[in-house]
Amino acid sequence: MTGRHEVGARQGGIPAARRGGIRAAWRVLTVGGVISFRGLFNWLNPYIYVPTMLVSPIFQILLFVYIGRSAGVGSDSFYLIGNAVQYASIPCLFAMANTIAGERWMQTLGIVLSTPANRVALFIGRSLPVIANGWFVATFSLFAGARVLGVDLPVSAWPGIALTIAIASASCTGLGLLQAALALRVRSTAVLSNVVFGVLLVFTGTNVALDTVPEWMASAGRLMPLTHAIEACREIVAGASLSAVAPLLLREAGLGAVFAVLGLAALRWVEAQSRRHATLELQ
Amino acid sequence: MSILEAHDLRRTFTTTTGVLRRNRKEVEAVRGVSFAIEPGELFGLLGPNGAGKTTTIKMLITLLLPTSGSATILGLDVVRDAREVRRQIGYVFGGDRGLYERLSALDNLRYFAELYAVPARDQRARIGELLELVGLTGREKERVEGFSRGMRQRLHIARGLLHDPALLFLDEPSIGIDPVGARELRQTIAGLRDQGKTILLTTHYMFEADELCDRIAVIRTGELVAQGTPAQLKARVTAGSVVEVETFSGVGETDVRGRVGVVGALAGVRSVVVDDGAVGETLVVQVEPGADVTAAVLGALRGIRVGRVVTREPTLEDAYVQLVSS
Ligand SMILES: Nc1ncnc2c1ncn2[C@@H]1O[C@H](COP(=O)(O)OP(=O)(O)OP(=O)(O)O)[C@@H](O)[C@H]1O
Ligand SMILES: [Mg+2]
Repeated sequence: MTGRHEVGARQGGIPAARRGGIRAAWRVLTVGGVISFRGLFNWLNPYIYVPTMLVSPIFQILLFVYIGRSAGVGSDSFYLIGNAVQYASIPCLFAMANTIAGERWMQTLGIVLSTPANRVALFIGRSLPVIANGWFVATFSLFAGARVLGVDLPVSAWPGIALTIAIASASCTGLGLLQAALALRVRSTAVLSNVVFGVLLVFTGTNVALDTVPEWMASAGRLMPLTHAIEACREIVAGASLSAVAPLLLREAGLGAVFAVLGLAALRWVEAQSRRHATLELQ
Repeated sequence: MSILEAHDLRRTFTTTTGVLRRNRKEVEAVRGVSFAIEPGELFGLLGPNGAGKTTTIKMLITLLLPTSGSATILGLDVVRDAREVRRQIGYVFGGDRGLYERLSALDNLRYFAELYAVPARDQRARIGELLELVGLTGREKERVEGFSRGMRQRLHIARGLLHDPALLFLDEPSIGIDPVGARELRQTIAGLRDQGKTILLTTHYMFEADELCDRIAVIRTGELVAQGTPAQLKARVTAGSVVEVETFSGVGETDVRGRVGVVGALAGVRSVVVDDGAVGETLVVQVEPGADVTAAVLGALRGIRVGRVVTREPTLEDAYVQLVSS
């Protein structure tokens, strides 16, 4: 037994224990991520999912399109794209907060934190289904909104749109991770998610172009997720090539990565604080 | 080598009250606890509510840092080597929470199998074995939200055993479980002990501790007040006997509570407690070795309707009550 272990202990320069650790972290990231998303995201019930994820965004799109029409500013497609992409923040923020802070309500947090699981894999694993869901919701909203309003989105633009929305969902989920860490501490997830959603609605150029708002608001908006993705999406629909919008997409992805790193650091801090000061009331 | 060694563990909590004028209060939950658990031992930690049992366990399972003192599990320090310690321990607490309600029992187990890095190829067999052990085979596809308390508790135990931990912590596993379920749970725990698992158990049920534990420590307001086998504790605290008198009190003069002082003052009586029952009460009188106080006690109860009178050997509960109330 030990002999076999020793023979297999080194392969390609990576010690066996380390390889085992990487494999375990990979499984926590993928398999664990999907199972815990199903267990903790309590909107997966169709009676909640369809109204909040598939119907509400259409209302939001219609509301702003009609306001735009009556005020005589902006085209239908401006509001359609802005609101569809911005609506990704609902699944990304709420689901991310749900799947992390929800552990507190289930009283599973203490058990999870008493396992040796790699924390980065644990939390990033939960964010992957959140990103996929955010992508689906925003893409569906854009598609359905376009049909309802009769806005023509060229077929050639869809691959670029799909990619842009994927990046938007990922970066918004990065912010969601940070917000989830705060929600763990302050014990309220919905309040925080609602506030962040409101901020994103105003600051990201969803309904008001950033060059028409006060400079400080535009600057703040450029530090938030979604802003660059919404701009890129509008340009793609207007005929821009992917390489033309690449700088915007890179900036969007970069911001998301920064928020994700901050979120992971915050989660680490919350766990350390809890061990020191019993702040999480773990069961 | 002991599986677990705790040296002078202490934990203080700081709580604040008030929003504007913050009042800080320090609670010394655990005040210098030392003990060791040997391989294969089932070790009981008993004590009243708020005595510091859960706080002690949380320090041992790495969820809380000790304010001072230290503990090792398999020689690994619970603060310095936290991640390594986590691989070696399982943690189960009582009550019906702590499970993913909308997932099946199987998915709950699969998730924690991943978190404990149970290799994918071993998971099926391991989960199957554990479902069998806790008697949930055939129910594993059902969602946990439909499970009874007893089923949840058994699922918790299966979860705590997924990675075959060297040491299993069971914090009040039998809380809120009906007598039949609790008996099955005791059988499961006894089975684990017989397989050689090392377990730290807390419970408020003395017969459970008596039946299961090889050794017991009693904790009161954060300090260990006694340690030993159940037999040693019984012998140490109450060499003597217990007289129990069933009474049916009236009001005023004929209330048995008014006579506790008189009975307690009788020669040969060590202590007196009144337990309320469904219809009447039971007067529990701890008696010095060799003394016969039955007649004197009945004399002191004149005027109160009296039912059954029994003299019995002291139980672990008697020893416990005396330890934590002295
Ligand atoms: N997070 C916390 N903040 C402040 N005080 C705490 C905290 N956790 C526990 N305490 C206090 O520490 C003491 C010990 O509590 P602990 O939960 O360890 O008791 P216990 O022996 O497990 O009791 P029980 O039998 O009721 O479960 C209590 O006075 C409790 O109020
Ligand atoms: Mg407790």
